[in-house]
Amino acid sequence: MKEAMSKFLCPYCSTTFGVFEELKAHAISDHKTESVPAPEGLIRLTVNREVHEIQVEPQWTLNYLIHDRLGLTSPKMFCDRGACGSCTVILDGRPILSCMTLAIECDGTTIETAEGIAKSNHPLLDSYVKHHTMQCGYCTPGFITTSKAFLDRNPNPTEEEIREALSGNLCRCGTYPQHPKAVLEAAKNLREG
Amino acid sequence: MASDNLGDYERVQEEGKYSLEADIPTITFTEIGKRGIRRMDGYEKASGKAIYTRDMQLPGMLYGRVLMSPYARAKILRMDTGRAEALPGVRSIMRYDDPEIEGRGLNGSYFAPGWVGRQLKRSGLVEDELEGWGLKPVRPVLGDEAWYEGQPVGVAVAADSEDIANEALRLVDMDWEELPFVLDQEEALKPDAPILRPNSDSNLLEDPRQLLEVGDVEKGFKEADRIIEFTARRNAHLWAGAEMASVLVRWRGDNLEMWLREQQPYHAKMLFAEWMDLPMNRITVHSPYMGCSFGERGNPANNPSNGMNILAALFSKRTGRPVKFLYNRNETFFGESGDMMVSYFKVGAKEDGTITAVQIKNVFAVYMCTPGIEHFIDNTRIPNLKCEAITVDVSKAAAWWDRCEQLPNTFCFTLVFDHVAAELGMDPTEVALKNDGYDSRDTTHLSKYKSEHGFPDRDSLRECIKAGKKAIGWDEKWHPPGTKKLPNGKMHGMAFTWDHAWDDVRGTGSAAILIENDGTVSIIGQQADIGVNPWTAYCQIVADELGMRYQDINIKPFDLDQGFALMSPDGSCNLCSNGIVLRKAARKAKKMLLELAAQKFEDVRPEELDTKDRIIYVKSDPKREKTIKEVVARAMPMFASAGYWSEAPVIAWAWHTHGVWGEALETGRPRLGRQSHFIEVEVDTETGTVEVSRVVNVNDVGKAVSPETVEGQMYGGSYLGVGRSLTEEMIWDGKTGVLLNRNLLDYKYATMVDYGPVDAIFLETGLGHGPYGAIGVGEATATMMPALLGPAVYNAIGHWIDDFPITPDKVLKALGKA
Amino acid sequence: MKKFSHVNALTIDEAVSILRRYGDRASLIAGGTDLLGKMKDRILSRYPEALVNLKTIPGLDFIKEENRILEIGALTRLEDIAIDQTVRGGYAALAQAANRTASPHLREMGTIGGNICQDIRCWYYRHPNNRFPCLRKGGGRCYAIEGDNRYHSIFGGSVEEGCYAVHPSDTAPALIALDAEIRTSKRTIKAGDFFQVEVTKTTVLDEDEIVTKILVPRPPENAKSGFVKFALRKTIDFPIVNCAALISSSEGKVSAARICLNAGYVKPYRASRAEEVIVGKTFNEADAEAAGSAAVSEAKPLPHNGYMVQIAKTMVKRAILACG
Ligand SMILES: Cc1cc2nc3c(=O)[nH]c(=O)nc-3n(C[C@@H](O)[C@@H](O)[C@H](O)COP(=O)(O)OP(=O)(O)OC[C@H]3O[C@@H](n4cnc5c(N)ncnc54)[C@H](O)[C@@H]3O)c2cc1C
Ligand code: SF4
Repeated sequence: MKEAMSKFLCPYCSTTFGVFEELKAHAISDHKTESVPAPEGLIRLTVNREVHEIQVEPQWTLNYLIHDRLGLTSPKMFCDRGACGSCTVILDGRPILSCMTLAIECDGTTIETAEGIAKSNHPLLDSYVKHHTMQCGYCTPGFITTSKAFLDRNPNPTEEEIREALSGNLCRCGTYPQHPKAVLEAAKNLREG
Repeated sequence: MASDNLGDYERVQEEGKYSLEADIPTITFTEIGKRGIRRMDGYEKASGKAIYTRDMQLPGMLYGRVLMSPYARAKILRMDTGRAEALPGVRSIMRYDDPEIEGRGLNGSYFAPGWVGRQLKRSGLVEDELEGWGLKPVRPVLGDEAWYEGQPVGVAVAADSEDIANEALRLVDMDWEELPFVLDQEEALKPDAPILRPNSDSNLLEDPRQLLEVGDVEKGFKEADRIIEFTARRNAHLWAGAEMASVLVRWRGDNLEMWLREQQPYHAKMLFAEWMDLPMNRITVHSPYMGCSFGERGNPANNPSNGMNILAALFSKRTGRPVKFLYNRNETFFGESGDMMVSYFKVGAKEDGTITAVQIKNVFAVYMCTPGIEHFIDNTRIPNLKCEAITVDVSKAAAWWDRCEQLPNTFCFTLVFDHVAAELGMDPTEVALKNDGYDSRDTTHLSKYKSEHGFPDRDSLRECIKAGKKAIGWDEKWHPPGTKKLPNGKMHGMAFTWDHAWDDVRGTGSAAILIENDGTVSIIGQQADIGVNPWTAYCQIVADELGMRYQDINIKPFDLDQGFALMSPDGSCNLCSNGIVLRKAARKAKKMLLELAAQKFEDVRPEELDTKDRIIYVKSDPKREKTIKEVVARAMPMFASAGYWSEAPVIAWAWHTHGVWGEALETGRPRLGRQSHFIEVEVDTETGTVEVSRVVNVNDVGKAVSPETVEGQMYGGSYLGVGRSLTEEMIWDGKTGVLLNRNLLDYKYATMVDYGPVDAIFLETGLGHGPYGAIGVGEATATMMPALLGPAVYNAIGHWIDDFPITPDKVLKALGKA
Repeated sequence: MKKFSHVNALTIDEAVSILRRYGDRASLIAGGTDLLGKMKDRILSRYPEALVNLKTIPGLDFIKEENRILEIGALTRLEDIAIDQTVRGGYAALAQAANRTASPHLREMGTIGGNICQDIRCWYYRHPNNRFPCLRKGGGRCYAIEGDNRYHSIFGGSVEEGCYAVHPSDTAPALIALDAEIRTSKRTIKAGDFFQVEVTKTTVLDEDEIVTKILVPRPPENAKSGFVKFALRKTIDFPIVNCAALISSSEGKVSAARICLNAGYVKPYRASRAEEVIVGKTFNEADAEAAGSAAVSEAKPLPHNGYMVQIAKTMVKRAILACG
């Protein structure tokens, strides 16, 4: 942003000014009553019910933030290009790919990862373990988050709907036939409390 | 069994030898074979808490990256790293001409130099100990010449972040001389092809297995009613596992610690020590969970990414910081399946389905996993066999096992049998039964072997076929090729193939069993986890052998330096080797336990005791009992005070070798179990799409210790196996030699919705040489499935497409529509 | 990824003014599913210096129907379009196209604006680290012509020796078949005129122009629309060829047809020949097939993509029959 640096950028609205005095006048007249905005890149987000306030770089992906910075190892880096579902987290209710999301754009959001789902004793965990719904396990947290978001919306799904919902998650070990069984059982347990 | 005048070492060795006798269970199965057991690794994996090498971080860690060649074959003429060095955050740069790296090589081929050569010499196949195994020779860790596009070459960096390391590589200024390359193995044999290896006059690679001959094929052809000739081609596919390659290394004084994503960590340590000239006892290897392997990490020597272990170690030494070396997704396309082949077949058969001769000529690119004829030897009574197999160097990365080195064998086996059945107009299951046998002998010889060695005389193939036919509705649905149009307008096809089960004869492991002084049990033994769920099975075995419950047993296999290393999870030999290791160790531990218990009962001898449900009881008076916990409460070193004294710990270890690979038939250990596979497809003749609507696998697994695990392997094998022949394919640009589909969008493997239902049916005949008669099942389905698409499509449309993968363009072409 | 600046735009005007300031050194980001892949792979020699986030602009994420016009905000996620009852009812081709795009996760992220503005997927163009500085990147040659062109255009290139990369969008043909209009920060453009053959661009948008919403007129009561897609996988896969059709009929006979193929040409390919053939016919295999053949009558496939002609023909046929 060389250009922006040689000019003066209004911290409230990003308008640029050639002369500092102009910026000052503008800020006083147009933004008089507003509080000073937070520095660029300071975001606040809720991850697994815990609030984080953290300074991020624009190029950080949400995956980098959650996995490398917050130390939650569940969103796994598998394809790194949006083609496998392994890094799925639930963002404001939507199952999204954390590798294709910029952290800086997640200000104010609420995020759930597999760790959070496990901590809340969601029945998915138990049914996945019981049905051996994993092999190497690398893609499994991505299935857990996707299934959780799906069950939140559709608590009484058919097998077909489960398969559709999980069709964006790649599993190289080929555990596919085991997932509908586990998700159906979890759904039943959820409904029956 | 061991006689008493043996020395300690001799006794261990004697006890660890494999046996030809059937392993008849002596215990009641409580945990073994049970469904619904919670997987040992399940919660950790599902909750995201399982740590893989890629997840690891250490304080102060640097990130290592290496340059990958943009050219299929090229030499670096000039390289200037000045701008990269000046980039803030770059901590170290290694150039190919750095004295510390120059001349360092990885073995281009197999395990350690000469290892296979020695094995081959021992088995009498070759006279000299060969260096390596006919592959590209020693490959520099960081050279100035690239042999294929994507090869690590020229320069590596360590920096504060991955982004900085990447940026630094971009800033290296270089001039290359592009050299002529060749991608196709048959092209590479033509006189005008560029010779790829220095000091060589041909692209043909040495391999002792170039000719395998049994009987006399010419005689066999004369006896035949029909001669069937055809050609088939198999394009490359690869592992494309979930976790991308990485390694983490840190020096602690003279000791080096590594977190290794390696299927065979002990081999990796051994080779690494050799490469680095380090004493092995100075290296600590941690083996975190692994996101897939399928053989990708099975060969510590052949794989270019092993260079990163060395680079990481050198960087870590230089910088005094931990270094995590990473490959990104596109760089993990650094190899191929070892079945890039063109095959020329000539088969003689009688009208009744008896095959009289099979002749195969296979031309492999880069690496021959197996020549292609072995399953006819291991598995049929066909008397005349001949296989010429040559391996040709091309400008592609080193090929290797891809969920089984047997791919060329199953490819040839399925295509021959199904072409014969089609040519004769016979039901392929009949042709299979007609030719079942081993080593040119028929099944009466198998029956004889079974009875001599205590196995039940069950006809595994007949049982597998029967179960599979029933499940898929074969008798109702099987039809002549190209004759069945479905109501949805698509052409229906179905196919069958078979083979022996993967009752393999290799694998060596050791482990110990420690009964903790609260009566719980720890299995001590290191092993990499690639997802085949061995630990659950081990705990089931130990529980039943000790008369305890599954929940009482645990295994903590992540660190190598426990003194015990279990057989690595590969070759379908994991459970068969380690199950026996653990069973032996458990029996020894139980013996010790009962000796200790006898002391506490005071008036009984150990032989009069037994265990059940965590209880030790007197066999003649079961009401007299003590809990295991009571008995072992003092059996550990305890703090020496307050009148406590310790009793010796109950700990026992065992070693077992499951046989020596390559000596199967020589030692007279034929495979007794069989497998059968059925598939149904629907071919859309307007688009060329082959839709797999049903897969039925029947595997004789001898004994299923963990049923869900067996099914998991069969499900997974189906998806991976079918994918290999429908959509998975590595595609190179002919003009530049660049691999075009280096990502998981363009390298396409199956999703959850791509195929119809998969049946995983297993038989438990007890016909295996593993514990309780078990047979390995990890690779079988995945290896059997790919070729099966050929006959299935033939049955649907009446045209053979012997060119794999079978993509829509080929189907349309066969139909005259493209 | 390499560093860049990031601006959360609060209004369209602000986003436009930033674009004006940076010119081609800035990129708009909506769902990011296309853009971030390009940036991670460093496929272009030029890397954006700044990203302008559109998601912080309120009022661009909506679906509503007023006066028989469906309006969809540019930031509306594909999943929301795919499951919307109004869209599924009256604008089936669009709902189906959205539903067949990419994967469930990508549909939760990817926007309709991003979908029609996305870049091409040619594997030479997209190869990491700008390995192939081809014609489209201002280089001297098109690698696909001589190389592996199994997924490239069957109807010719942008220019003579030029780019054969196909337009990969699934929703584009549906929007064209439904005769939608694209509203931008400057103007309103017919969907059929929105896409562009010029070598370096995929749309007619100016550098400082932003798509704000999409307007789709409700098809007449006697019309039905449908979408079909051919890909190697059922999900997580771009189309090899797709096709959308909107067909009106009376008394079983086709009275009007709009048929559009995509992924077969450098921009969505209006199958006007097929439209001519099918009008006046009933819905039957033979006539639909004839229309399919007419659609590809001008095909000039490359050495490796001849099979796509047969597939395009079939897609047209099936799209027509889906409207019956
Ligand atoms: C693995 C994978 C599979 C895919 N499969 C498919 C598929 O099957 N079918 C398909 O159609 N697509 C597919 N896609 C492409 C997918 O990225 C788009 O479908 C998605 O809709 C793009 O939307 P976005 O909001 O994420 O775009 P972004 O990445 O945010 O933007 C894409 C481009 O459009 C520009 N842009 C975005 N919004 C606007 C606007 N309002 N005005 C002007 N310019 C704008 C951006 O500057 C950028 O250049 C796939 C992508 C991936 C990664
Ligand atoms: S088709 Fe277009 S994008 Fe692909 S190589 Fe040719 S010019 Fe480049």
